[in-house]
Amino acid sequence: MAAFTYAPAIVLLPFVSFLVALFLGDRMPKGGALAGIAATGLSLALSIWVTLDVAGFVGSSTSYNEFIYTWVAGVDAVSLRFGLLFDPLSALMLLIVTLIAFLVHIFSLGYMNDEGETGLPRYYAGLGLFTASMLGFVVANNLLMAFIFFELVGLCSFLLIGFWFREDGPPSAAKKAFLVTRFGDYFFLIGVVGIIATFGTGLFAPITEGGEVVAHSFPGLAEDAVVDGATENIAMLETVGMGAKQWFTVLGLLVLGGVIGKSAQFPLHTWLPDAMEGPTPVSALIHAATMVAAGVYLVARMYGFYAISPTALAVIALVGGFTALFAATMGLVKQELKQVLAYSTISQYGYMMLALGSGGYVAAVFHLTTHAVFKALLFLGAGSVIIAMHHNENMWDMGGLKDRMPVTYYTFLSGSLALAGIVPFAGFWSKDEVLYEALIHGLGSKGGLGPVYLLAYTMGLVSVFVTAFYTFRMVYLTFHGKPRTDIARDPHGVGWNVKGPLSVLGVLAATIGLINMAPVAKVTGLHIDFLHKWLNGPEEGGWPATLDTGLHHYEELLHDVAGVSAGEPLGAIGTLLASAVLSLALAIAGVLVARSLYGGAEPVEHTDKLGGVKTILMHNYYQDEYQVWLATGLTHPVARAMDKFDQGVVDGVVNGVSSVSLSGGRRMRRIQSGVVSNYATLLTLGLVLLLVAFGLAGGWF
Amino acid sequence: MVDPTWLATAPALAFGAAALVLLLADSVDPDTTNATVLGGIAVAGSLVSLAAAVYLLYGGVGIPTGQGGTGPAVILGGQLVVDQMALFFMTITASVTALVTLASVDYVREHAYQAEFYSLVLLSATGMSLLSAANSLATAFVAFELVSLPSYALVAFLKKNRGSVEAGLKYFLVGAVSSAVFAYGISLVYAATGVLRFDAVAMAIESGTVRTVVDGSVQAQASGASVPMSILGMGIIMIIGGLAFKMAAVPFQFWAPEAYEGAPAPISAFLSSASKAAGFVLAFRAFAVAFPIDALAGSGAVDWFVVFQVLAIATMFIGNFAAATQETVKRMLAYSSIGHAGYVLIGLAALSATGDGMAFSMSAGMAHLMVYGFMNTGAFLFIALAEYWGVGRRFEDYNGLGKQAPVACAAMTVFLFSLAGLPIGGGFFSKFYLFQATLNVSAWSLAAALVINSALSLFYYSRVVKAMWIEEPTGERTIESYPTGLYTAIVAAAVITVLLIPGFGYITDVAFRAVELL
Repeated sequence: MAAFTYAPAIVLLPFVSFLVALFLGDRMPKGGALAGIAATGLSLALSIWVTLDVAGFVGSSTSYNEFIYTWVAGVDAVSLRFGLLFDPLSALMLLIVTLIAFLVHIFSLGYMNDEGETGLPRYYAGLGLFTASMLGFVVANNLLMAFIFFELVGLCSFLLIGFWFREDGPPSAAKKAFLVTRFGDYFFLIGVVGIIATFGTGLFAPITEGGEVVAHSFPGLAEDAVVDGATENIAMLETVGMGAKQWFTVLGLLVLGGVIGKSAQFPLHTWLPDAMEGPTPVSALIHAATMVAAGVYLVARMYGFYAISPTALAVIALVGGFTALFAATMGLVKQELKQVLAYSTISQYGYMMLALGSGGYVAAVFHLTTHAVFKALLFLGAGSVIIAMHHNENMWDMGGLKDRMPVTYYTFLSGSLALAGIVPFAGFWSKDEVLYEALIHGLGSKGGLGPVYLLAYTMGLVSVFVTAFYTFRMVYLTFHGKPRTDIARDPHGVGWNVKGPLSVLGVLAATIGLINMAPVAKVTGLHIDFLHKWLNGPEEGGWPATLDTGLHHYEELLHDVAGVSAGEPLGAIGTLLASAVLSLALAIAGVLVARSLYGGAEPVEHTDKLGGVKTILMHNYYQDEYQVWLATGLTHPVARAMDKFDQGVVDGVVNGVSSVSLSGGRRMRRIQSGVVSNYATLLTLGLVLLLVAFGLAGGWF
Repeated sequence: MVDPTWLATAPALAFGAAALVLLLADSVDPDTTNATVLGGIAVAGSLVSLAAAVYLLYGGVGIPTGQGGTGPAVILGGQLVVDQMALFFMTITASVTALVTLASVDYVREHAYQAEFYSLVLLSATGMSLLSAANSLATAFVAFELVSLPSYALVAFLKKNRGSVEAGLKYFLVGAVSSAVFAYGISLVYAATGVLRFDAVAMAIESGTVRTVVDGSVQAQASGASVPMSILGMGIIMIIGGLAFKMAAVPFQFWAPEAYEGAPAPISAFLSSASKAAGFVLAFRAFAVAFPIDALAGSGAVDWFVVFQVLAIATMFIGNFAAATQETVKRMLAYSSIGHAGYVLIGLAALSATGDGMAFSMSAGMAHLMVYGFMNTGAFLFIALAEYWGVGRRFEDYNGLGKQAPVACAAMTVFLFSLAGLPIGGGFFSKFYLFQATLNVSAWSLAAALVINSALSLFYYSRVVKAMWIEEPTGERTIESYPTGLYTAIVAAAVITVLLIPGFGYITDVAFRAVELL
C-alpha cells in the first residue's frame, strides 16, 4: 500500500515545480530548470516504485482505485470527485511520461539555457504544469477528472507552443493547436456529460471494498446493459429513444472526438505540424509522452466501453489506418527536419488507433510505449541538430553531419531504424504486432468488420514502405553526403545535457522492443511476451478480477460482443511469419529506395518527378485550406446570422424590457408630486381600495 | 431567567439612559459643541445596548428552559416580552444606531444643538427597542410613537436647509395620517376581541368569542359574544396600513423619498434601516402571534398574507422602477429602500393558508433585515461622506471618486452590489433565502417579482459603481480631509456585510429559532 499512499506526489511534484519556477524562477540558477529536473526525477522514482508495487514485487496490493477528494458532493445525485486508478496500464504510462519528461527537462538545459533564451522561468513553469497535467490525466480514475486534466494539457500546449510569442509564427500555431483540439474536446465534453448522465458515474473501473463493489464503473454498467440486458436502471435510454448498443456507440464516438483532436487524427491533425513552432524539447514532450499520447491512452483506458461497440471499433480502425497512410505521404516531400517528424507522429498514432480499433489492445499499448521512446529520441536528436545548425531546420542546408556529431548521428539512426520498423529495433516489434492483429482480425471477423479491418490493414501496410522511405530520406539528407552549407561544415557543439538524454533513449530505442517479442515467443514457445503478460495479469483473481481492465476481459468482450475473431489461413505460425516478413520487406524496400535516391554524396531533389502530386502533398492535401474555408466561408456567416439574431431579437427584447421599465419608472416617479395633500389623498385611496377589495372578498358587507 | 426580569429590557434602557445623560450634559453646558464628548456618549450608549442585546441573545433569553435557555422575560403583565425575536431586532437597532452615531460625529460637528440631535436619535432607538419587545397593541402604539416623534424632528434637523424642513413637515403630516389609521385599526381590533394583548387576541380569534384580561390571565367575557369577523378584518387591514408607514411600503411610502432625501444622510440611514426594521418586528410579532393565519383563513375576516402579497409586489415594483429613473444618488437609494421593504414583506407573504412556510419565510425576512441593516446603513453613510465633502448629488458628480477615495468607494461598491444581491456580501444569501421561501410555497408571482426587480436593481446600483470607478472626473474636486468617524463606520459596515457571507448560516439559525419560539 505504501507506494500508493505516496502516489499523489507523482502528480503534485511537477505541479510544485511549476509554482517554484513561476514565482521563484527568476531568482534561481538555470531559471527553474533544476526544480523541474528534481521534481520529474522524483516522480520517475515514485513511478518506478508504483510500478514495482503493481507488479507485486513490493507492497501487498497490486492495484489501487480510490476517490481522494470530493469537490462537488451530490445529494441524491452525481458527486464530482478526484480519484486515482493504478493498474498496469496507468503504471506503464506513468513510467513513460515521467521518464520522457525527466529527459526533456535535462535536454532543455542544453537547448534553452545554453542557447541564452529569455523567459526561462515561464518555459520551465510551462513544462512543469504540462507534465503535472498529463500525469493527472494518466492516474485519473474517472472520466470527468480525465477531461479536466485533458483540458489542462491542451492549455499547457498552447502556452508552450506559443513560447516565442514575439515572433509571428508561434502565437498563431498555438492558437491553432488550441482551437483545433478544442473543436474535438467539444464533442468529448458532450460525451462526458452524456456518460455521466447515462450511468451516473464516470469511473473507469469499479471501486471495491473487501471484495464488495461499492461503486460501479461505466464500462461495467454498459457491459451489463449490452450483454445481460440490464437496462432498467438506465433512464437515459428511454430519453434518447435508442437501444443500449446504439446509444453507447454514440457516446463512445463523442468521446472519440476529443481523442481525434488530441491525438491528431484525420481530420483534426492540422494543428500538429504547425505546433513545430514551439521549442523542440516541447515538441518532444508533446509528441512522445504527453498531449498526443493522451488521446490514444484515453481509448485504452476505457477500452471496455469501446470493446462492446463494433461500430466504434470500425471507426477507430478506419480513422487510424487512413491517418497512418495519409500523414505518411505528406511526410515524403517536407524539407524541414521537424516537419517530417511531425507527420510521422500523426502517422504513428494512426497505427495505434488502427490497433485499438482492430482489437489489438496490447499492440496499441506496445506501440505507444516504443513510439514514446523513439519519437522522443528523434525529436531530441533533431533538437541537437538544430542547435548545431544555429536553428536552421532545412534539411537541404545540412548534410554530412554524421562525422561531426557522432553521438547524435548514432542515436538518431537508432531512432530512425525503430521508426522505419527494421528488426530488431523497437518499432519493428510493435508495428509488426499492430499489423498482425489487424490482419488476423480482418480475416477472421464476421460481417462488415472484417473488410473494414482489411482495408485499414492495407493502408497501414502501405505506409510501412512510405514511413521507411521518408525516415531514411531524412537521415540521408541530414547526416550523409557532403555538407551543403558553411554551418553544416562547422556545426555548433552540443553538451552533455544533450548527449546524455540522447544516449539513454538511443539504447532504449534499440532494446525496448524486447519487452514484447510476440513473434519470437510464438515461434519458439518461450514466454518472453512480457508486456502481454503485464497487461493480462494473473489468470485467476488479482487486479483483473477487481478492476475489469485486464486484457483477458477485453478479449472476451471483443470476441463475444463485437464479433472480433482471428482468422489464420496459413496456420498460426505461418500467418505470423508471413505478416512479419511482409512488413519487414516493405520497410527494407523503403530504406533502399531512399538510399538510392538520396544516399549519394550530393543528393538532388526528386520531388518534382511527382508532378501534380507534389503540389498536393506540399499543400498537405489542402486540409488547411478547406478548414480555413469552413471557418471563414461557413462558420463565420452562420455566426454573423446568429449575431444578427442576438442583436436584433434577443437584445431587442432586452432593450424593450428596459425601455418599458424606464418609462414605467418615470410614471412611478410622477406619483411623487411633492404636494403633501396629494400624498394624503393617494394614501387614503390606497387604504380604501384595500379595504373594499378585501371586504368584498371576505364578505364583510 | 434574568433577575430582576425588567433587566431583560437592558438594550432599550441603555438607549434611554444615554439619552438622559446627553440631556443632562446639555443642561450643564448648553452651548457646548464638543462633538467628541457628545458623540462619544451616544456611541457608548449604543454599544452598551448592542452588548446587552448580544449577551442576552446568546444567553438564551427566550429559549425555553427545557432547551438550555432561560425562558422569555415577561414584563408588566405581558405587555412586554423579551425573547429571541425581540433581541434579534434589538441587535439590529443597536448596530445601526452605533454606526449612525459614530458617523454623525463628523457630520454634525459644525452644527448647534448636537446634544439634542444625539438624544433624539437615542430616544427613537429606545422606541425601536421597546417596539421589538411590545406584546400588546397598546404598548406597540406607544413605542411606535416614541420611534416616530423624534424622527420627525431629526429629519428637519438642518433648520436652514429648506429641503430638510419641508421633508420633516411632510413626514410629520403623512405620519399623523398613518398614526390615525393605525390607532383606528387598533381600536377596531379591540372592539372586535375585547383585548389588546397579542396572545389574548389570538385566543379570542381561535375561540371565536370575545375575551377579557383579568389579573394578567385571559378569560372569556361573561356575555359570550362572538367576534365580529368583518370588524376584525377591517382592523387588521388598518393595522397593516399603520405598519406599512413605518416599513415605507405601498401605499404609505410617499413620505420616504422626500424624508430620506431631505434629512441629514446619517438620519436617512437610521430611518431607512433601523426604523424600517422596527416596523417589521412589530408586523412579524403581531401577525405570527396575535392574528394566527390558520384560525383566520376562511373565517371571513381577512387572509392577511394575501394583503401582504399584494403590498409586497406593489412595493417591489414601485420602489425599484422609480429608483431606476432617479438622477440623484440619495433619492435612488431612498427608492431602493422602498424596494427592499417589498423584499422583506415576502417574509409575511410567502406562506400558505395553514401557516406552512411561515417560519422559513419570516426568518428569511429577518435575515435580510439584518444584512440590510449593515449594507443600507453603509450606503447612506457613504452619501453622508459625499455630502461632507461637498460632492454633488447627481450620479455624474460621483465620477472618478474611486481614484480619490478608494477605500470608501470600495466599501460603497460592496454595499451596492450586496444590495443588488451579488455574492459579494450577505445580501446575496438573504435574497436567495427569500427567493427560496417563495418557491417553498409556490408563490410564483412573488418569485417572479423578486427576480425581475433584483435584475432591475443591478442596473441602477451599477450606475453608481460605474461613475465611481470607470468614468473620468468631470469638474474640479478637492478632498481636504478624511473624517475618521465616518470612515470607521463605513469600513465597519462593509466588513460586516462581507463577513455576513460566512456568518449567514448562523444568522438564519438564530432567526429561524426565534420565529419557531414565538
